[in-house]
Order: sequence, then C-alpha cells, then structure tokens
Amino acid sequence: MSKTLIVGEIQKGGLREATLELVAMARGLGGDVVSLVLGSGVSGLAEDLAKKGGGKVLCADDAALENYTADAYASVIRKAIEAESPDLVLFSNTPSGWDVAPKVAAGIDAGIVTDVIRIEKDGDELVFVRRMFNAKFDSQLRVTGSPKLATVQPGALEAYSGSEGGSVEAFDAGSPQSRTTFVETRTAASGGHDLSKAEIIVSGGRGLQKPENFEEVLKPLVEALGAQMGASRPVVDAGWLPHEYQVGSSGQVVTPKLYIAIGISGAIQHLVGMKGSNYIVAINKDADAPIFEVADVGIVADLFDIVPALAAAIGSAKG
Amino acid sequence: MKILVCLKQVPHKDARLEASGGWIDEGGIKFEINQYDTYALEEALRIKDAGEAEVVVATIGPDRTSQALRTALGMGADRAIQIWDDSLSGADSLTIAKLLAAAAKDESFDLVLMGLMSDDANNSLTGPMLAELLGLPHTTGAMKIELSDGKAQVERELEGGSLQVVDLPLPCLITVQTGLNEVRYASLKGIMQAKKKPLDKKGISDLGLDAAAVASKVTVDKLYVPTKGEGAEILEGSAGEVAQQLVGKIKELGLL
Ligand SMILES: Cc1cc2nc3c(=O)[nH]c(=O)nc-3n(C[C@H](O)[C@H](O)[C@H](O)COP(=O)(O)OP(=O)(O)OC[C@H]3O[C@@H](n4cnc5c(N)ncnc54)[C@H](O)[C@@H]3O)c2cc1C
Repeated sequence: MSKTLIVGEIQKGGLREATLELVAMARGLGGDVVSLVLGSGVSGLAEDLAKKGGGKVLCADDAALENYTADAYASVIRKAIEAESPDLVLFSNTPSGWDVAPKVAAGIDAGIVTDVIRIEKDGDELVFVRRMFNAKFDSQLRVTGSPKLATVQPGALEAYSGSEGGSVEAFDAGSPQSRTTFVETRTAASGGHDLSKAEIIVSGGRGLQKPENFEEVLKPLVEALGAQMGASRPVVDAGWLPHEYQVGSSGQVVTPKLYIAIGISGAIQHLVGMKGSNYIVAINKDADAPIFEVADVGIVADLFDIVPALAAAIGSAKG
Repeated sequence: MKILVCLKQVPHKDARLEASGGWIDEGGIKFEINQYDTYALEEALRIKDAGEAEVVVATIGPDRTSQALRTALGMGADRAIQIWDDSLSGADSLTIAKLLAAAAKDESFDLVLMGLMSDDANNSLTGPMLAELLGLPHTTGAMKIELSDGKAQVERELEGGSLQVVDLPLPCLITVQTGLNEVRYASLKGIMQAKKKPLDKKGISDLGLDAAAVASKVTVDKLYVPTKGEGAEILEGSAGEVAQQLVGKIKELGLL
C-alpha cells in the first residue's frame, strides 16, 4: 500500500486551491493520503482540509511558522516525512513550494521533479509528466528511491471536490529556528495602468525585438481597436514598458473579451494571466508555439507583416 | 568578499530545437548563458564594482560550455571553474548540486548567486539544493539585493507583483529573477583580458567524488512535442487576407 504526503499551503488566511489540487492528484493515484498544514493558529484550516479529502491531517501549529521561512518549514516537513515514511511527497509549485521542496530533497537525498502536470502509473512505477523549454516540449520522467518528491503546477488539475472524512492530529513542530528572518510582505502597487477592466488587450512579447516597435508597430493596432496595451515579462524586464503592463503569474491576471498575443510564445507563467480571456488571438511565426494551444484563432506569420495590415483593415472597417 | 556565480549554458533562445530521446538534438545549435544566470552574474559584478570582491564563475558542462565561462570572464568575472565527465550527461539537479558543493566547499564564499531556473529544463532546483548541501541559508527569486553589516536584505518575488522582504546572514545563497538589474555586455577589452584569466577544468575524481556518489535519481525517459489539443483555428492567406478574416471575427464578437 503506497502513501502520499501532501504539503498544504495557506494563503490569505485560507487553504490554497492548489492544495486541493494536490489532494485530487494523491486520490487519483490511490493509497493512503496524509497531509501537513503549517502555520500559526491554523487548526481550523487543518479541520477544513480533513473534511476536503486531506485524509489524516498533521497540524503543525507553531508561532515560529507564522511566516514562511525555508529553514523552519523544511525542518517540519522533514520531521513529517520521518514520522510518516511516505512514498511520494507533493508540494505546489508556488514561491514557497519551489523555495522549500529542493532544500528538503537535498537534505534527505531524495529525487525530485518540479512543475509536474500529471503523474501516470506504469505498473508499480510512477511516471512524472512536465513541460520543458518554456512549454515547447513535454517530458516523462522517472525517479528512483523513496520517498519521491514532486512540485505540481497550480491549475494543472481540478481541485478535489469529494468530502471523505479525515482526522486532525496535532504535530509537534518543535519551535523550529530559522537563519532567515521575515521582514514584511509588500503587495503590488496598483499603478495607473489597470488591465483588469479592459475589454480588449493587445499584448506584445519578445518577438517585437525592440522598444520602438511597441510605439511604431503595436500602438497603431492598440489605438485602432481602442484597446489597452499589455506585455510579457521579458519586455518589462528589459525596461521597455513598466511592470503594470505585465500579464502573467507575476503580473496581472486579465479576462478581457478579446486578447491578442503578438510575438509571445505562451510560457505557463504568461498563460495563467490571460487564458481566462473570452476570445484569444495569437500571432506568432512559430507554428509550434504553445500560445496556439490556448488561442481561438491563430496566425502563423511574421508579426511585422500582419500587425500593420490588421491595424489598416480595422481602420477601414470602422470607416 | 568572495562571490560564486553558478551558471548554465543553454540553447540560444532563437535556436530551432528538435527532441531526441530524453533531450534535444544539440547538433548544430547555438548556445548562450541562461538568462536568469546572466542577472546573477551582473549582480555579482555590481558588488565588485562597488567595493572589493572576487567573482568566481562555475559551470558543469562539456567542452562547449567553456565558451559561456569565457563570456562571463569577459564581462568581468575573475576566474572560472568547469566541471565535466562524460558520465554526467543527463545528470539530475541533485547531482549537479553535489558537484558544485564539492567544488565550493573549501573556498569559503561569502555569497553564492545563481538564476532562479534554467531556460532549458526549467527545474528551479539547483540553488536551494546547493545551499542545503553547503549548509547555507538561501532564498529564491530575488528582485533586489542589498548587502550591509554581514547580511543581505532581499526582496523576493511572490505572485501578482507582490514581494516578500527577508534578511539573510552571510554567507548565504540567493537565486535571482530576471529583471533584477540591467545586464552588461562583455567589452572588447574585457574579452581580450578574459583570455588570460584562469579557467580551471576538473573531473569528478578531482573533487574527491566517485560516479556512485553522484549517480542521478531522476531520468528523463522521453522529450516530445506535446500532442495538440483542439488548438486554434489557423487563418491562411496573405497578410491582407488574414487581416480581413480577423476583422470579421472581431465584428462577430461585437467589438467593432
Ligand atoms: C516565477 C516566474 C514568473 C514569471 N512571470 C511571468 C509573467 O507574469 N508574465 C510573463 O509573460 N512571463 C513570466 N515569466 C517568464 C516566462 O517563463 C517566459 O520566459 C516569458 O513569458 C516569455 O516571454 P515571450 O513569450 O515574450 O518571449 P519568448 O518566449 O522568447 O517568445 C517570443 C516569441 O515571439 C515569436 N516571434 C519572434 N519573432 C517574431 C516575428 N517576427 N513574428 C512573429 N512571431 C515572432 C517567437 O516565435 C516566440 O514564440 C515568469 C517566469 C518565472 C520563472
């Protein structure tokens, strides 16, 4: 009988949806499910997880765990692994997940796979499926030894919706120490460029090649459509546009009626910011670009030919 | 101040990649330093420019990767370490971290910097693993690093543009996010000087390790182009024709 340990995550005082996605993954694989909840004053959330399929929920409730630190969280996760001897340990691929999981893996000399979208069974063996090369390729991986660790891409699975009754057990965290000290969390300064209410967004990516092209190539289309301009991360990293233009996991999440992605490959961190748009158009010269998977309509061509033609056609359609 | 920057050489962003077995076909493609790592190197060089520091760059990789190290030396790093053995082809992140740890352990670095992830495998693993093996505190995804009084204050990126501010005592390891700074190019003078800077090549046994100690636990069985779902309806024709078709679609949406 196999056993999966789920490392739960708390966000804004609630269980993170991604944790329930881990429950779905663990339940899908079968075997025992045990969960770990870490934090301060979190017994209610542990109860919540126990009701939502988390199985036996270990509740590490300790003032030292109020804010995430790699040292303290890793030490409690390792204690839970020692206590439960799971075959598989699941984390979410979130800023705390990708910070702590590799530390735990190296500490116990275990194999780990990150940003997994699926785990398949091949007889008794597990096959981990994940993207590589910024989503250009899928890959199948195997891990030797036990336990095996994995971080799972948020949103890759539906959250578990069953309600198997579980139980909560207090888990002694032992007031773990941390060399790193938490100072504060700063939420994004809401700038003047709020994309959340835009009806139409035209976003440009690295394919636009240089900052002037946002003015000369993209802007005429933005104006013809009465749209707002957005961008992928490299555009913002290079300082071509301010951060408030960035769409994606570390920028804004947008849901316009029409989203036009131009010269954007479609890395997962960009997709999570725009895939909820009502209608998506992608213009990219690479027919294999992952952006076409989420698009309703695609144009496989050089953007420098298409975008001016489109701006002109829209101009004349409006008369 | 002694700083280690770990970097990886990855296929160039514009290279046309074909899958081959568990990896890509590396024949005939151009390589470059992983984007994320270039920001780590730049940060180290800024610390050096602002005061006194020795910047050491290290990579695990075959012959071709000495080019990446030469580029880093040309940008201003002081010396380089290249570790390789043909048995390391396909090595997992933990193996890479073990090799880097062995190379770093006697050097007492005050700061270790590297990218949050690599643009090829996208694992995001080596940094925190190396920190654990070296017994150093770490943080990931830095958007700002300030050093003072034996500590580093780091703004680490969370989601949706929020940041977490943390203090780490030195020595420590920090992985950096893209956009942290503006990366310099190697100057012609820098490239000339780089030819005289030390580039130390090491094998597994030079690090006091053997093949068994660095055996990988994770193997990639297969790399492949994802099977497309329904995907997009692809518009065909000249630029003018597809533009007209798209105008029709936008009209149907009631947005024109
Ligand atoms: C923790 C984390 C958070 C992140 N957050 C975000 C985020 O919030 N938002 C975000 O966007 N990214 C984010 N990223 C980065 C993300 O992984 C990708 O690197 C990024 O989205 C790529 O941007 P891009 O598509 O513009 O560039 P590329 O991937 O380089 O794609 C450029 C595309 O342009 C096409 N192209 C080039 N020239 C032409 C032409 N002439 N005509 C037509 N097409 C052309 C190419 O075929 C290619 O598909 C994050 C990454 C990490 C690790």
